[in-house]
Amino acid sequence: MSRIIDKDLKELSVTLYRMGELAHRAVLEALIGCIEGKEAHEEVREIADTLVAMADHVEDKAFELIARFQPVASDLRTIKSYMKIAYDFARFGRYALDISSINKQIGGLRGCEEWINSYVKRMSEKTLEMVRSSIESLKSHNTQIAEKISEREKEVDKMYFEFIDELIKCGATIKCAVSSVLIVRYLERIADHAAYICESIIYIATGRKEVLR
Amino acid sequence: MTVKFDIQNLNAWFGSKHVLKNINMKIEENAVTAIIGPSGCGKTTFIRCLNRMHEITPGARVSGKVIFNGVNIYDNGVDPVMVRRKIGMVFQKPNPFPMMSVYDNVAIGLKLNGVRDKKILDAAVRRSLELANLWDEVKDDLKKSGTSLSGGQQQRLCIARALAVEPEVLLMDEPCSALDPIATAKIETLIRELAKNYTIVIVTHNMQQAARVSDYTAFLYLGELIEYGATKQIFENPKHELTEKYLTGKFG
Amino acid sequence: MDHYKFRVIKDRLVQFLVYLALFSALVPLFSILYEVIARGFSTINIEFFIRPTPTVGETGGGVANAIQGTLITIGLASLIGVPIGLMSGIFLSEYGESNLSAAVRFLHDVLNGVPSIVIGVFAYTLITRSIGFSVTAAAFALAVIMIPIVTRTTEEALKLVPMSVREAAIALGIPRWKTTIIVVLSSAKKAIVTGILLSIARIAGESAPVLVSMGFWRWWFAGLNRPVANLALNVFIFAMSPFENWVVLAWGSALVLILLVLGISIAARVLIRERY
Repeated sequence: MSRIIDKDLKELSVTLYRMGELAHRAVLEALIGCIEGKEAHEEVREIADTLVAMADHVEDKAFELIARFQPVASDLRTIKSYMKIAYDFARFGRYALDISSINKQIGGLRGCEEWINSYVKRMSEKTLEMVRSSIESLKSHNTQIAEKISEREKEVDKMYFEFIDELIKCGATIKCAVSSVLIVRYLERIADHAAYICESIIYIATGRKEVLR
Repeated sequence: MTVKFDIQNLNAWFGSKHVLKNINMKIEENAVTAIIGPSGCGKTTFIRCLNRMHEITPGARVSGKVIFNGVNIYDNGVDPVMVRRKIGMVFQKPNPFPMMSVYDNVAIGLKLNGVRDKKILDAAVRRSLELANLWDEVKDDLKKSGTSLSGGQQQRLCIARALAVEPEVLLMDEPCSALDPIATAKIETLIRELAKNYTIVIVTHNMQQAARVSDYTAFLYLGELIEYGATKQIFENPKHELTEKYLTGKFG
Repeated sequence: MDHYKFRVIKDRLVQFLVYLALFSALVPLFSILYEVIARGFSTINIEFFIRPTPTVGETGGGVANAIQGTLITIGLASLIGVPIGLMSGIFLSEYGESNLSAAVRFLHDVLNGVPSIVIGVFAYTLITRSIGFSVTAAAFALAVIMIPIVTRTTEEALKLVPMSVREAAIALGIPRWKTTIIVVLSSAKKAIVTGILLSIARIAGESAPVLVSMGFWRWWFAGLNRPVANLALNVFIFAMSPFENWVVLAWGSALVLILLVLGISIAARVLIRERY
């Protein structure tokens, strides 16, 4: 049965999907910029700003729905989670912006050691895949996809710590060390937020607050 | 949880119509328990079984146990009049006794139970009206007719009347459904205050009211108890699919 | 347009007929009042109110004893009739619908329709035969006439009290019979009182049953097993007598009687109005 609130909930979820796509693109562009040395900062900034505006809009809309409809049960959990997820997507944008700032400011990973480049590349792929997963589970409200992300989040965490160890052991130029550590740090945070998103999906569907990190 | 009512296998009929089916639940003392559910699900019948009012309808029948203060109120030796003195009731439409003053409305329960001393009656009337948050509004003219009050005031008068005989429980059957939002809010606040010292069971078809006012919520559907738990849990994360559907308005 | 004019004419015609009927109904009332007041008014003086019925040949005299007698008779009748009528009314209204209540209601209706002379004969047979012509017998007859009226008005007044009042009373943990008190208090007590007053007004004017069960009496109250004087009977006996002063007293009695009934009816009206 179609309820008045359903239309607004649909709108919200459509907004969230768009945010997901934009967030993914931002992170992708920023990483490509760093790894392959392309100029992408302005574009990433634009997307990041859009994401922040969209997150604000989602929050406002969610508050309106709460005030007007006093939602309960799954509706309430959905609205609460949408607010969190919107914030998480905006954070993707922010991190993407931070990554492309490194590129702009100190030149990213241009001319750095091969092992660093390939490590960062691998971590980026894993992280981007997690971002895509989180968007996928949001679209389908699929808790199984959401749960699988826990494994990969732990992998990314492991990679982060291992990289730091490697770097200290092997050493590198200051510029490459600073760039790569920062990038890897942001990748780890992006992975965290992707896991947050999946936790929210599980909360919407089951009401359980699981920790996937 | 101190259990005030231990309801076991409660069934109720109107003639051959089976209205309540095997209800089992424990109602906590000095808390507000809300009974929600779609029209005709047996909510009113249920609370009327708690103070033995259901059986006064011709053709009505009850089976099962309702254990109150250690005694099954449906046991053979139990006097329904005593049960009703301990378990008071407030009805959907405010029904102060017509042709009687505010004072008399509140005092009559005591008077007919043998209290004659005017001082005691005065004190009891004042106490009950204060408990019902009505004293300040009527203290200047207790002799005026009960029916000359506004709807919300009349309902609070009915609450005072019920409280005057010093019950332990207050059963409320959709007490606000005939009232405007401001009067409703006053009564909801009153309910929360009363819950400190009385066990309150409230039937309501207004889910938001149940959410605002109660500590525990029971969802009844077609005479069966579908789900019963802490209000926070029921409204955030109901366990049963039917409950979820009802709360989110997805009933066809 | 023709149709409209025709309708207007029909309307006016019906209005005229209605007013004519009203007039015809009021004329007897006013003519009676006029006659009684005109002829009876002249008799009203102090003597009228303090002297008893004069004996044959005595001049002057009054209806003081008749007033006393009428008051005693209707007082006694009320003492018997009102409680019985009230309780019957309460029973019919409060104690459920059953074959018994249907029978009671039917019997009351029948009783209502029994000619008052028959009731008088009944009282004669039951009471007069054993203790003689007496005010007790007359009061008994009048009580029997009163009962259906009081029962009916009481039942109607109580039926107007909504079911919710009874439920609220039961929910207070009050024993069943005491909840009836609440219902009675919650009802228009004034309607019940009005019903009682109107039944008194009715019996004040009854002459046939009084005559049969008690007979005529010229003196003051002399005991419950003796008759008393009665205003209605005075009218009956004196009007046809050959004595001039008796005839005059008849008109006077009639006037007092009408004033008494009128007074009671007005009191009943005033009581109803106070409710609003």
